[in-house]
Amino acid sequence: MKKLFSIFILSLVSLTLLGQARKPTIMVVPSDQYCISRGYKLEFESMGAKQTLPDYKAAMQNDADLRLVITKMGQIMADRGFPLKDLEMELRNLEREAAEAAMLMSSTSGSELAESPVDMLKRTAKADIIMDLSFDVKRQGPHRYISFNLRGLDAYTSKQISGAAGAGAPSSAASPELLLEEAVLSHMDGFNAGLQRHFDEMFNIGREVRVNIRRFASWFDNLETYYTYQGEELELLEHIENWFFDNTVSGRFSLSDASDNQMRFEQVRIPMMETDSRGRERAVDTRRWLSGLSRHLRDNFQIDSKIYMRGLGEAWLIVGEK
Amino acid sequence: MKTLRYLSLFLVFLFAIGHMSNAQERYSRKEKKAHYSSNYNYEVQIMGVGQDGTKVMKVWGFGRRVEDAVIEAKMNAVASVIFKGIPGGHGAAATPAILTDPNAGDKHAEYFETFFSPGGKYLQFITMTTDGMPSGQDRLQIDRRTYKVAIYAQVMYDALRKQLETDGIARSLSTGF
Repeated sequence: MKKLFSIFILSLVSLTLLGQARKPTIMVVPSDQYCISRGYKLEFESMGAKQTLPDYKAAMQNDADLRLVITKMGQIMADRGFPLKDLEMELRNLEREAAEAAMLMSSTSGSELAESPVDMLKRTAKADIIMDLSFDVKRQGPHRYISFNLRGLDAYTSKQISGAAGAGAPSSAASPELLLEEAVLSHMDGFNAGLQRHFDEMFNIGREVRVNIRRFASWFDNLETYYTYQGEELELLEHIENWFFDNTVSGRFSLSDASDNQMRFEQVRIPMMETDSRGRERAVDTRRWLSGLSRHLRDNFQIDSKIYMRGLGEAWLIVGEK
Repeated sequence: MKTLRYLSLFLVFLFAIGHMSNAQERYSRKEKKAHYSSNYNYEVQIMGVGQDGTKVMKVWGFGRRVEDAVIEAKMNAVASVIFKGIPGGHGAAATPAILTDPNAGDKHAEYFETFFSPGGKYLQFITMTTDGMPSGQDRLQIDRRTYKVAIYAQVMYDALRKQLETDGIARSLSTGF
């Protein structure tokens, strides 16, 4: 009986472990305003226009206050079961990875690693949720206080999913470091409550993602070409829209833009989990979900397509070729 | 004449009914007692940003004796962070309730019955209070039989949240991932 009970518990645990949704990565990034106002910036000219971009590396190397705040936030998030991706470490890793990739070659033929310009472009520090941070030590007479602004942004939908902002209590005795720590402690519970609401919503009505459908210029047809499927002759974009309706959670999506060359879907709610062909429960991301549409187009319309993944919550399907 | 008499009697009756309903709005002693001993009636005010993982608050309790009100205030301190959350103030941002479901108290009634029993586990999450007899504005006698007193308490918010997550009452941030 005891053995039977242990087997039951073990199988329950393994089922729970197998059936886990894809965990979003979170990273604290100082806001553009924070970096640029403190001089951590890169300036260059692009087509005659002056452009200013934040220099995260310089900010992380020189700003002790920023490091203190990020460390404190990381500690709190790790405690909540969500260790943060560290921006400084990620930048360092990317540099090292690029150096190693440039040196690596095959021992038999001496071939270098294959890398397209797109692969190079994609080699940037990224996360699924950005904690956009800015703060300021302000003065009010002899007192100092902290003005704190933290926004949780979905990297794909560009929506603010959580936020915490406000000013701390002024103090003339406390050091700025202490005031900064106090600001983080004060705001993180509210911020995490917003994040929790977002995750709860995700599990209830699916993950919100963004999908773009585009076409290769070499393809002779376009998205307005008529195709017949199950006895219905419709434009290809209508067939695609029907597929979205059938495969999103409760048919939730909005087609924000459409032409003969592209379709832009926003607020697409995809399921968190699905059962694969072998009967296994698997986590779903946008690329995996969109591969269903790619198969549908290939099997029923004889149209090849290519999936371009932009992250956990965004993918493009380019029709016409592989 | 007879009709006039009936009409005036009817008007007097209507006036009496109206007066009775007004009298009810003043609340009987029993109703007031129900109000003070209600599970939902707790007043709480944050007193600043607490040390790592804690919340410092001023919380009120009701009781026949001051000692009873102090015990209830301790319970209220823990209950407020579980069910209600604490509004911001004194330089601290608002603290959200650990349980986001407004009916969580009823759903897990049995659990909380034990948790908040006399000498129950809730005391584990209060690290510091002003246990001495409150005085001055922190000790109000509402009527002959009811005291309303305030104590200052430090609640271990993070430890309490972890306990509720472990017991399957609260949902952790990483649940499902």
